[in-house]
Amino acid sequence: MIGVWHAWRGRTPRGEGPWAWLSAGSVALSLLALAALLLLLTVRGLGHFWPADVALVTLADGQQLAGVPVREVALPGDGRERLYRTGNAELEDGVWAWVPVAAITEVEYPRELVRVERRRGDEMVGWLVGMTREDGRWIEGARAWTALQERLHVLQGLRETRDRLRETVILPHVSEREPGDGDTPELTRAYARLQELQAAMEGGRLILRAAGGERLVVPLEALQSARRPNAMSAIDKLADWSDAVWRFLTEGPRAANTRGGVWPAIFGTVLMVILMSVMVMPFGVLAAVYLNEVAHQGRVTRLVRIAVRNLAGVPSIVYGVFGLGVFVYGIGGTLDTWFFEERLPSPTFGTGGLLWASLTLALLTLPVVIVATEEGLARIPDQQREGALALGATRLEMLSRVVLPMATPAMLTGLILAVARAAGEVAPLMLVGVAKLAPQVPVDGHFPFLHLDRKFMHLGYHVYDVALHSGDLQAALPLAYATALLLVLVILVLNLTAIFLRHYLRVRHGMPSPR
Amino acid sequence: MSDASPDTSSRRRLRQARDRLATALITAGGIGVVVAVLAIGVFLALEALPLLWLPSGTETLGLSALAWGTLEAAAWSLVIAVPLSLGAAIHSAMFMSRRLRSRLKPTLELMEALPGVVIGFVAGLVMAPWVERHLGEVFALIVLLPPGLLLAAGLRACLPYRWQRWLPMGYAGLWLVPWLLLVMATALWLSPWLEVWWFGGDLRDWLEQGLGLDVAMRNALVVGVAMGFAVIPSVYALAEEALSGVPSSLAEGAQALGATRWQTLWRVMLPAASPGVLAAVMIGAGRAVGETMIVLMASGNAALMTLNPLDGLQSLAAGIAIELPEADPGGAHYRWLMLAALLLFLFTFLVNTLAELVRTGLRRRYRQLGGNA
Amino acid sequence: MSATRDPRFAPRLAGACIDFAPEASCLEIQGLSLAYGDTPALEALSLRVPRHRVTAFIGPSGCGKSTLLRALNRLHDLNEEVVREGRILLDGQDIHAPEVSVAELRRRVGMVFQAPNPFPMSIYDNVAFGLRLQGRVSKRKRDDTVEWALRSAALWHEVKDRLQASAWSLSGGQQQRLVIARTLAVGPEVLLLDEPASALDPISTLKIEELIRNLKSTLTLVLVTHNMQQAARVSDYTAFLQGGELVEYGPTDTLFTNPRLRRTENYITGRMA
Repeated sequence: MIGVWHAWRGRTPRGEGPWAWLSAGSVALSLLALAALLLLLTVRGLGHFWPADVALVTLADGQQLAGVPVREVALPGDGRERLYRTGNAELEDGVWAWVPVAAITEVEYPRELVRVERRRGDEMVGWLVGMTREDGRWIEGARAWTALQERLHVLQGLRETRDRLRETVILPHVSEREPGDGDTPELTRAYARLQELQAAMEGGRLILRAAGGERLVVPLEALQSARRPNAMSAIDKLADWSDAVWRFLTEGPRAANTRGGVWPAIFGTVLMVILMSVMVMPFGVLAAVYLNEVAHQGRVTRLVRIAVRNLAGVPSIVYGVFGLGVFVYGIGGTLDTWFFEERLPSPTFGTGGLLWASLTLALLTLPVVIVATEEGLARIPDQQREGALALGATRLEMLSRVVLPMATPAMLTGLILAVARAAGEVAPLMLVGVAKLAPQVPVDGHFPFLHLDRKFMHLGYHVYDVALHSGDLQAALPLAYATALLLVLVILVLNLTAIFLRHYLRVRHGMPSPR
Repeated sequence: MSDASPDTSSRRRLRQARDRLATALITAGGIGVVVAVLAIGVFLALEALPLLWLPSGTETLGLSALAWGTLEAAAWSLVIAVPLSLGAAIHSAMFMSRRLRSRLKPTLELMEALPGVVIGFVAGLVMAPWVERHLGEVFALIVLLPPGLLLAAGLRACLPYRWQRWLPMGYAGLWLVPWLLLVMATALWLSPWLEVWWFGGDLRDWLEQGLGLDVAMRNALVVGVAMGFAVIPSVYALAEEALSGVPSSLAEGAQALGATRWQTLWRVMLPAASPGVLAAVMIGAGRAVGETMIVLMASGNAALMTLNPLDGLQSLAAGIAIELPEADPGGAHYRWLMLAALLLFLFTFLVNTLAELVRTGLRRRYRQLGGNA
Repeated sequence: MSATRDPRFAPRLAGACIDFAPEASCLEIQGLSLAYGDTPALEALSLRVPRHRVTAFIGPSGCGKSTLLRALNRLHDLNEEVVREGRILLDGQDIHAPEVSVAELRRRVGMVFQAPNPFPMSIYDNVAFGLRLQGRVSKRKRDDTVEWALRSAALWHEVKDRLQASAWSLSGGQQQRLVIARTLAVGPEVLLLDEPASALDPISTLKIEELIRNLKSTLTLVLVTHNMQQAARVSDYTAFLQGGELVEYGPTDTLFTNPRLRRTENYITGRMA
């Protein structure tokens, strides 16, 4: 160490000293932290969907257990302990098992081990004993496996038909129905069909033998899928993985948000961001044009400009409070007493909803759009404006034909930055309209098609909810990782677009300088 | 050529009328938008005003605990963020190669865009449990990282010049990353011995029994690290702008007198840029004070008033997020929460305005300095 | 609005010099004073600009020649700080009269600026910009006018094959001629040129100067330049301004070869530049 020190003092004639290296280290540390965060999200988020191999572990005392290894930690003192996800919640020591590594005598990966994913509750792991079909016939052995796959496929189809029926026929009719009305014939028919479908799904059981030897019986309609990960090739697994990712993106959540997909949250996030953009763009551009092109450029305008700029730094929760007080309780409450009196005291617009959420976020992102647009406008040389005026253009014509087209990339940049900010904001939404679980998406085929008063789900809030409010955190954590990764990806893509757009703008608007 | 212009007087009047209408609309709309945006402060003040007539009870106490928690979290995040971001700003303004710098800036911009809920999630559910179980390792990391960095510098100086060229100062931000990983691994490996050596075996016991400090899983330190991570990019961007905006004539003047780059920085550039650096720190403080999701998810939400960085806390923003939806509109609790929001608004608005004024003044100074050169 | 005057300079000029009325005048400036806030830029300036001639304004930097030119186009309307007194008559009508539309005035009095400022559109769209402002014109007629304007600006042969190319792809000299074509297309009566060649290379400058000489058969041109050789080469009349005042105004030949006043002579011979 001392030798190194002397070498350093000797070799650098008048060295930069230690501080230069510490400052370089802070760059490296920041980059490392960023990379570590992204890597963590990617690995955990995407790894969740990989059909991992199931290990059959034999312990020193002869006990056996089957499960997916999750992680390993050091024990206090000596030795390590490994966590297996064994599933089979109905057994006494079900779902999770901590095993001292030293006690493990053998680890095998038998090809026949089955992982069964249930619609609700935890997965099951064991050997397939056999299954009774819906008509009561008993099947065993290899034929049972194919029969199980077929039946699961049929069940999936039936479920989809049922969900479609519920969404397109029953829910609209029920929400339209006045209290006290009887069922319409159409509704009665739909209910009958629903019962038919329900009946078609029932029947049939799967019988598994757990690693400990217990027999597990489960009705077939409670199952989502069954696979033998140890027997799958890498390509099979990859196909399975992409299928799982796809289902994560397109399906709704199950089992109190701890299973299933995030489609309603994606939909809610995107819809809210679109509504917000529709509201923020005209007003933001209007304000920027006023401040930069119309207003007298005096002290007042300068102060207003600084104030607007600073509003971008006001915490988002404050905007949420404003939205709750003014939009929800103020305007929404008033709307309810005027138009929706018959529904009171249950509020229609007097509670958080899509409209108020997007309005609040529009207000939150106004400064971003105004600042970006103003920067774009300020970068346009005055000669362009004078050139248009000198040709006899009025101010409106100058703005609409020369100035605004030239400022379009800047406006787009502002919009994208606004969208990126809005997509990641959660705090204000908690006050003005996000929901833990909203089974109905705010758009459907039922008049007025876009339901601005409904609550909606949001990716960011989904992360918060799954991570902090789910019963079984270990089971929900992978889902939170995957959702967080999705959110980060969306925001990164939006920001990258903005960065490239800004670059393009600089290149294009570096006016050809006359020599 | 006048026949090429069918600009009849009626059409001209139409164009003028349209122009006047549009100008009026833009003016009205622009003023309206600006007023609507500025109305936030007025609204909060009006809602909190009735508190003057209400009897103040336990709520005052609750609010002061929240305010304390807010300041504590912001202070810890600045403790983490200020050295790192200023170091990064200094390095990229003074030493970094231009190419790397032009790549680093957008990267850190992306870092700024990471949503608070994701950072809060990782901090509260991944980092906090790990830190709770590995206090000794965390301590070892903090203590060993700086000497590890200096060791890298020293080792580089021992290398032949031919090899040193492969590790240029301009790219130190990059090639130090693997080295840092190595240092970290070493620190983790060494930590049990360090713990035994310094704390008699277990840091946690030592803290709880020796110093009487509680150790909560989600604590102020975790919040500070997470929020520091969130604040680094904005402080870095503003500080870097202030430093690289210093007219180059100043730095060249100092270097012409034989100053090293570090001396130039310390004696000339930092004093010149200090208002901008201060503004950067202020804006970082504003962000840290208002950040909601990180505190909500990583702090444990226990409204305590302690100085212990390993104990939980709750901030104003998190308190509002949790309690406001349940508060009865118009009730006393609702108004107290409005007051909390007003405090946040005023604090961030004032801090940001101050920072903006400082930056405007600084830019003017740079122009003058640049003009004289 | 009082500026300190150097007592060594000649006293206020004799009326004959300022009211110099050579031919039928097109623009007439009467006692024009102009100030930016508290800073005076022009003081009680009067002169007539003859029709179908090239009139040049020369003078040292900051003498007010560009301010005067911009006043003729009412470009100062944009700046609320500007205070103005006096009148400017275009064909006998006050351009500041309330019934005059500023857009119409600017159509009649075109202006070309120091740096070429083509819009970020195609060459064709640049020239057609003014036409489109004035309402519906058949495409045929628009095409004709664009071609005519480009020919008048001596640019047609260089760009006729790439009318849809971006105007910013042209060279600086071509851009400036494009701007002139764009101005010609709306059919102005007066063309104001604010140092149109100062940002261009010598060959482009010669082309612009030739263009100016050709255009005076149909237009009245007013040229601001700090290049005295250029003023001597292209203008018929020259006005010399200094410190916001009109010092001397007369036929270019006379002014350059036989100036009446010492100040003019000093400036022209470069003794005070």
